Amino acid sequence: MNEYELDCLGEACPIPLVKVERKMKELEVGDTLIVIIDHSCALKNVPEWARKHNHEVEVEETGDGEWEIYIEKTN
Amino acid sequence: MGIQSNKTYQAWFKTPWSYFTGAIMLSLFQIVTMATTDGAWGVTGPFATWAAWVYQAFGGSVDKWYFFSTESAQAALQRTFITDPASVRNLGVIVGALLATLLASQFKFKKIKNFRQVAAAVIGGLLMGYGSRVAFGCNIGALYSGISTMSVSGWVFALFLFVGAAVGSRLLVKYFM
Repeated sequence: MNEYELDCLGEACPIPLVKVERKMKELEVGDTLIVIIDHSCALKNVPEWARKHNHEVEVEETGDGEWEIYIEKTN
Repeated sequence: MGIQSNKTYQAWFKTPWSYFTGAIMLSLFQIVTMATTDGAWGVTGPFATWAAWVYQAFGGSVDKWYFFSTESAQAALQRTFITDPASVRNLGVIVGALLATLLASQFKFKKIKNFRQVAAAVIGGLLMGYGSRVAFGCNIGALYSGISTMSVSGWVFALFLFVGAAVGSRLLVKYFM
């Protein structure tokens, strides 16, 4: 049940998504990845990718143009 | 309750509109563009016109340049920024995008992370600029306007857009991540 953070601030598509895909492979089932982003395109494609792979996803707006995406690895 | 939690505000300004809504809007505005400017929507064409204006302001001449030998390119060169519909529209795209991000309260100056990001942006920008001129359009002028005006060239452009995106994203992941 570990928590990992992935800082993708200042990174545009498709880099956040590629980084998330790579990082998720290292996680154990039950671990949570917190992705910090400030490009709205990642707000769309990262949760979309995670939901397609049946992970638990939650998004929080942490500031003007900044978001945290919580992804819990379920499989 | 603040405006941030207002449902109408969220639906109109906060959450991205669906691709379907976007497609309808783009189609309507393409029709308006055709009716008012006698031409289809394009974005990168004016960049060449702007560069020629700057070059001319410094005493240069593009009279002998093959690129500017067409009637439409010559007509654009004769206009000014304010009388050139495509130039004003490009300004409108930027102002509109700024307005949209401000209304959504999502405006932010993004930090430059490292030199590789700068290199990727500069190399990518130059390739896109050059590519869009030799292809006589970008994904708006050549692809979107091409296909929507029943031109086969739009479909050819689409095919090679996928090839370029596949190669480009592999290079991006390999060298710039």
